[in-house]
Amino acid sequence: MSETVINFTNFYFKYLNSQLVLKNVNLAIPQGAFTVMAGPSGAGKTTLCKAMLGIVPFYYGGSYSGDIEILGENVKGKRVSDLAMRVGLMLDDYESQLVSLTAGEEVAFSLLNHGFKPQEVAERTKKALTDVGLPGRENYQLDELSGGQRQRLLLASVLAVHPEVLVLDEPVSAMDPDGAKSLYALLYKIYKEYNMTVVVVEHDINNLLPYATHMVIVDNGQIAAKGPVMDAAKVTYDNPVLRENLPRLWQIKFNLEQRFGIKLGDWRSEEEAQEELQEKFQGRISK
Amino acid sequence: MRITAFTQLILVLAVTAWVFLLPIPAVATLLALELVLLLYIKHDRMTMAAIGALTVFTGMMIVLQLLFGSSLYISLTGGLRMFVMTTAFLDLLAATKIQDIAQALVEKFHMPCEYAFMLTTALRFVPDFLADSANTLDAQSCRGYSNRGNVLKRLYAYLAVVKPLVMRAIAKSDTLALSMELKGFGANTYKNMQPQTLKSLDYIVLLLIIVLSSFPFWQKFIMK
Repeated sequence: MSETVINFTNFYFKYLNSQLVLKNVNLAIPQGAFTVMAGPSGAGKTTLCKAMLGIVPFYYGGSYSGDIEILGENVKGKRVSDLAMRVGLMLDDYESQLVSLTAGEEVAFSLLNHGFKPQEVAERTKKALTDVGLPGRENYQLDELSGGQRQRLLLASVLAVHPEVLVLDEPVSAMDPDGAKSLYALLYKIYKEYNMTVVVVEHDINNLLPYATHMVIVDNGQIAAKGPVMDAAKVTYDNPVLRENLPRLWQIKFNLEQRFGIKLGDWRSEEEAQEELQEKFQGRISK
Repeated sequence: MRITAFTQLILVLAVTAWVFLLPIPAVATLLALELVLLLYIKHDRMTMAAIGALTVFTGMMIVLQLLFGSSLYISLTGGLRMFVMTTAFLDLLAATKIQDIAQALVEKFHMPCEYAFMLTTALRFVPDFLADSANTLDAQSCRGYSNRGNVLKRLYAYLAVVKPLVMRAIAKSDTLALSMELKGFGANTYKNMQPQTLKSLDYIVLLLIIVLSSFPFWQKFIMK
């Protein structure tokens, strides 16, 4: 996990007629990482996601300085659609990103645009739909699919081009808790199966506790914390303003560590926490 | 065996010409054939509603023509022609995927891909737009929107629904445009699809179209 797939160097950006949205961003996303990006609303997370494909600054315009490298190549002068073949992006408004009338056409759309042969398009479409749990739905009209299925369809359309990196901007913002858990479980399965690099922007990191390997906290356009998930979480906890961005479980963990001067494990679930706490505090906590 | 979208489009264009070229009994027969075909391909609620709405619209058109002084014969034949032309489009939409129609328009009629894609996009977003409209209406009703009063008052009040709806549509179109950019939309979109090659049935239908379309010619010179 040493090679870097996305690299920002001294990157500043502002949209046309706006204040600076990203300030002095220095960030490296390692290959094979499952990175969670969090931060307050309006911190610049979505803009940072878009910058990972060169959408910002090259599609929207605006002023920038610094460099962005994707898979070793500077994004300057590259077409967004070519970069999207290597870095797949899912925005939060998934409904508006579906452009076709049937599930099969939707998945095939990118492939056809990039000149894949019809035979390969059909094979990849079938495989991508199977990967996201929608096998045999090629001829389904979009209005025959539920919200969660449409979300998975969009994921299939991104996966069909076999990107090396997957960037998802609040993918479960319109889903119920069960739907969110199931989408992240699916995403993790795909991440493991295809050995991808994943970046997820998420307000509620609780859903991603079991999966995250790295974490980035964005605040006011700047990177406030970054790195392997527990290191970044510790830095975030030490900043009282940003502490709220951490999952409740880790806030408890750091509180306990601070109060009792002990070192606790990297809890990924309530069960893990319960087990360790019972072991460590057996008979020591007064009722 | 099915005819391609290209032949179907030519057939629809031919039907719009035939309603003026062929004698009225033949046009009426055409209508019967179209309706049978439409109900054979699709006989769901939407299709029945489309036929019903078309019938009402045709009736209104006939009444209006009568009110403006046309004779009964002219009004009825005018209504019949309009009905036949529109039903041909309904047949086309029922029988063919809109994607195939768009592909045929680009491949065979050399329509710019952006215009052809508008066809599919429009159909794709109509249900979303209707859902957004209902949601906005509900939301604004909770904030005090009311459609009571005279027409002017109601129109003015309706701005409270239209404004957020338009803003939402613009935001969605921005995301759609970005999504299309990411997916590499362009001239290749239709070029790389499985080509629609004409088969023997297409040639038979096209020949039939030529024969029927030249009806006035062979009626005048050959049947004499």
